[in-house]
Amino acid sequence: MEFAKPSADMQVSEAAAKEMKMDVLVGTILLGGVLLSMILVVIGLCWKWTHTGSVSENYQLKGMNLIQLVLQEIHLAVHGALRPRLFITSGIVVLMLTPYLRVIASVGYFSAILKNWKYTLFTAIVLIVLTYSLFLR
Amino acid sequence: MVPFHLLFPVAVLAGFVGAMSGMGGGIVLIPALTLLGIDIKHAIAISILSVIATSSGSASAYVRDHITNLKVGMFLEMFTIVGALVGARITLAVSRGPLYIAFGVVLLSSWAALLLAGKGWHTGEQDAVTRWLELEGSYPDQALGAVIEYKGRRAYFGAPMMFGAGIIAGLLGIGAGALKVLIHDLVMGLPPKVSTTTSNLIIGVTALAGTSVYLFAGLINPGLAAPVILGVVAGAFAGTRLLVRLSNQSVRYFFLFVLLILGIEMIVRGL
Repeated sequence: MEFAKPSADMQVSEAAAKEMKMDVLVGTILLGGVLLSMILVVIGLCWKWTHTGSVSENYQLKGMNLIQLVLQEIHLAVHGALRPRLFITSGIVVLMLTPYLRVIASVGYFSAILKNWKYTLFTAIVLIVLTYSLFLR
Repeated sequence: MVPFHLLFPVAVLAGFVGAMSGMGGGIVLIPALTLLGIDIKHAIAISILSVIATSSGSASAYVRDHITNLKVGMFLEMFTIVGALVGARITLAVSRGPLYIAFGVVLLSSWAALLLAGKGWHTGEQDAVTRWLELEGSYPDQALGAVIEYKGRRAYFGAPMMFGAGIIAGLLGIGAGALKVLIHDLVMGLPPKVSTTTSNLIIGVTALAGTSVYLFAGLINPGLAAPVILGVVAGAFAGTRLLVRLSNQSVRYFFLFVLLILGIEMIVRGL
């Protein structure tokens, strides 16, 4: 038995449907990242307020790139150094990693699902430059 | 130290305006933070961090509503992020006065270009380069009640201009959404809503590149950044919901008004 080959219109609509799913994936990553970041910041501020009666914090993140900051936050969390500052800084880290994760997901989607090698290359270039910036010294 | 009850409402307003105009929030936030007594370089660093929040918050809705053109965004990001790294390095090296003036000049240039450039986007034939880049699409326009089809043009001009927009984004911490919208609209022929929403997507990645430079330079104070981020996201969500219900012309008038006021204010302060 032979099956008819899909028409050009069917192929186009299938590609369009996959691209719409990519919209949903990218939108969900962005929304999830921002929400998680906000939750962490709100926890930090509420904790600070309940203990000191103020939500004001004042400290600088000096001389470290995002990767070093992530490692420092993980180290503090693992060693039980939980405090408002850890949550606020973690919220900032999550926020910064959100567009980065969106680019990683885009590289994966363009290559694995859409098989669009042109845009896999473009997004991979974006990913490489961003990765360089995160390791900046 | 600026108290929470001052920082938070200013950030809500900045997020709202940023989402409505596609400019990214920093354009209102930086003048406001400096008026509250924060040093302009720290204001730029906090702003560019908050721009990630504005952009991601707004873009999450625009992308899922299928208004944003992901391919246009992904292609142009290659140029803006390199520009942002260069721009942020320049900010670390220069004094504060020129930063105020540069900020004002960028705003007024954007205002003049948009005012003189005629009305909106144009349909027409795609060039071969832009066709090869697959920079076309369609989006559902709630205000018109129709699906609008469009084809991008002149990507070969748009790409290097986006590198310049990236430099300004990194330099001034504004996301440079104003310039990105102009390039999408006037150079690449994209409809205003696609220009604005795709600009929002690009701004997040561009801002991340700039933020990395400011983070390592020690210009990010999480205590100041936390209320700003919260306020900016709240304002951005409100602005995003309103944008999809407005006509293209309404967005344009709003955009023009904000650019003019802030441009004059910053130049006066830099002199």
